[in-house]
Amino acid sequence: MALTLKQQLSSPGGFLKFLVKYNTIFIFILLVIFSALISDVFFTSVNLSNLLKQVSGIGIISIGMLIVILTGGIDLSVGSMVALLAVTFAILINLVILPLAIVLTIAIGFGLGSISGYLVAYQKMAPFVATLALMTIARGLGFIYSKGSPVTFKTAGGVHMSNFANNATLGIPNIAIVFFLIVIAAMVMLHYNVFGRLIIAIGSNEEASRLSGIKVNKYKFLVYAISGALAATAAIIVASRTNLGSPNMGMSWELDAIAAVVIGGASLNGGRGTAINTLMGVLILGLIGNILNLLNVPSYPQQVVKGAIIIFAVLLQRFESK
Amino acid sequence: MKNSENEYRLEMSGISKSFGVVSVLKDVTLKVKPGEIHALLGENGAGKSTLIKILSGVHHKDSGIVLLNGEEINPKNTHEGQVLGISVVYQELSLVNDLSVAENIYLHKLGASKFWMNWDKITKDAQTLIDSLGFTIDASAKVRDLSIVQKQVVEIAKALSEDTKVLVLDEPTTVFDPTDTKKLFDNLFRLRDQGISIIYISHHLDEIIKIADSVTVLRDGVDTGSMAVKDTDTDGIIRLMIGRELKDLFPVRDAVIGTEPIFEVKNLTAKDTIVHDVSFSVRPGEVLGIAGLGGSGRTETAKLIFGADKKKSGTLILNGKEIKTKSPVDAAAHQIGFVSEDRKEEGVFLPLSIRRNVSVTNFKSISGKLGFINVDSEYKKVLGLIDKLNIKTPSSEIDVKNLSGGNQQKVALAKWLSIDSKVIFIDEPTRGVDVGAKIEIYNLINEVAKKGVGVVVISSDMPEIMGISDRILVMHEGTIYGELQKEQFSEENILRYSIGKALKQHN
Repeated sequence: MALTLKQQLSSPGGFLKFLVKYNTIFIFILLVIFSALISDVFFTSVNLSNLLKQVSGIGIISIGMLIVILTGGIDLSVGSMVALLAVTFAILINLVILPLAIVLTIAIGFGLGSISGYLVAYQKMAPFVATLALMTIARGLGFIYSKGSPVTFKTAGGVHMSNFANNATLGIPNIAIVFFLIVIAAMVMLHYNVFGRLIIAIGSNEEASRLSGIKVNKYKFLVYAISGALAATAAIIVASRTNLGSPNMGMSWELDAIAAVVIGGASLNGGRGTAINTLMGVLILGLIGNILNLLNVPSYPQQVVKGAIIIFAVLLQRFESK
Repeated sequence: MKNSENEYRLEMSGISKSFGVVSVLKDVTLKVKPGEIHALLGENGAGKSTLIKILSGVHHKDSGIVLLNGEEINPKNTHEGQVLGISVVYQELSLVNDLSVAENIYLHKLGASKFWMNWDKITKDAQTLIDSLGFTIDASAKVRDLSIVQKQVVEIAKALSEDTKVLVLDEPTTVFDPTDTKKLFDNLFRLRDQGISIIYISHHLDEIIKIADSVTVLRDGVDTGSMAVKDTDTDGIIRLMIGRELKDLFPVRDAVIGTEPIFEVKNLTAKDTIVHDVSFSVRPGEVLGIAGLGGSGRTETAKLIFGADKKKSGTLILNGKEIKTKSPVDAAAHQIGFVSEDRKEEGVFLPLSIRRNVSVTNFKSISGKLGFINVDSEYKKVLGLIDKLNIKTPSSEIDVKNLSGGNQQKVALAKWLSIDSKVIFIDEPTRGVDVGAKIEIYNLINEVAKKGVGVVVISSDMPEIMGISDRILVMHEGTIYGELQKEQFSEENILRYSIGKALKQHN
């Protein structure tokens, strides 16, 4: 049986090991304390809810990225997919009723992800290459369908979505609630569902999975399709926040998503990573941006700090695996 | 005894080491004299490899002291170990495939040398070194193109390219045939006479008796004693290793064998491998051995039946009904199991826990609608298997990479025992597994057969395949060349069929 928390803490050097094991959560807490100390504005509800709104979109695609990375793959197409699907959603919302627009957008996302999935799982294309191709295709299509400029919401459905995306329930922004629900669903899937178990098994040893009678191709296909559907969900959220779908949305979000997953301790070789840690990775990245904004640090130094944090987090994990 | 005033070249005492919660070595002592071959014995998981890795600088001891020629050493990495004169030939080959033999042998020196390499000289030196070992290998050949035996020789040459004081060999003869083994032994005797201390790790007790001067036995991370080989015999060593008498390695075969075959293979031919026209059947409760030389198509036959390789033609019949196995998914759905010979690459999930490993083939019985897993029944099932297979672990949550070879093998078996397999193919059931775990695995195979499963065991280990099988098929060049009934079992008969000859007529 798993060691209880108490056993872990009372074993020799237990506290240090505990810190190292849960280093992402630890870094997150440190950052929160640090932020609260250096800025009066940080702990205001306006700032915190802004922070949550900012990270929700990237957060949702990060969960898709996590399940792809767990199989040992990568999905570079998600940022461009957000752009294409945001444009798609904006066009659809002006054409059909709201529920149908939502369902269709997610279905299209699933379909686009399926293309990557098909190329990787059944055509044995390298995930990096297949999704790189999808990335440029999706970005290009986004510009074509929007004719290069943002498509604005014009119907009552658009107003509904905008209200939903910019309001809060019990003080928590609605879109953050959507993000958290997706995180919880991923946690449950990865721990208590056969699907999650099998994608982790595939990522840790694909050949052994195949020889255990697992439908390796089916699951590899599915993770890309799900990643596409989650990109669609993120697209709906970001479009609704601003009342429009723009082909410039989601620019290099795939890299932020990969960063969040990696900060969360996942291995790019597959087989290792959890949804809660990816959530922490997303929040850590968001927090850094937030606090640097509050301190009026310009965006270029922010990028340097982000990079440094990624290196720091991964080095800490090296320490953990020893 | 040259260049040493100490009686011992190497003294390791009070060595302890643990990985996380798993304690691997407890207060171990190992003392080796100059010019002796010292055998290090123990079951898998007893801590031999860890002890050697501490000596060579791969791992760092938690406590204890290591003396080389009376001086304390603490190599921080393998390079420091090498500089001190400690060379290790590991079981896992550590050669670079894309470099030449010579480059590999002198790889560790490349960084330390002058800017320009004298390739001619290096190749020549390497050639001389290999020639002196009595093997024919071209020093300028790429390692990728060598056979596994040749690779092992290169490993040994690499270890000797340094000014070696202590040479450690970890199961060096696993891939060798008797001629090569004899050559290796001659080399070891020569090195010993030159004053080199040799630590020799092996599971082959007859080898130990033949070549070693003294022996140290580890059991569960504790050394149970050292002695001169001339003062003991195989039984004495086994007693030290497993802590009990070894009455009989193989269980009494008391399974009731059915009359009708549970599984039949007819004229099976592969698309991409040499396997062709393979026909055989196995009955419930029967243990069917498949023998043959390496490359004769044994593993490929099993993989073909399991759906891992592509078939060209042939029929499979399970319980009287024809089945198709286009992929391992189909095979598993028909309750056909396959335990691969390559445990680490194809058998287990090293970074995952025992629980997650075992459950992989077995989600049907522990999950409900929509694939949600009933964690209670999962634990129950896994803990039951850990108990039944006697997997030595503090908990079901330990990662399989932290287990010994024998225990990893049991996990690989557990995967297929947790579903009720009708037919199970086990490829090299005890490769790299110690005596104690071997006996347990043989008993396990016996028990599985008793339940009416058809068990097919592929093995290169002659005593093993004769000890556990009811009937042996011998493969030669991709097809079944002959079949031996129990009363015909002999190494000679297996060998004759293996090389494509008929049995001698007098029996």
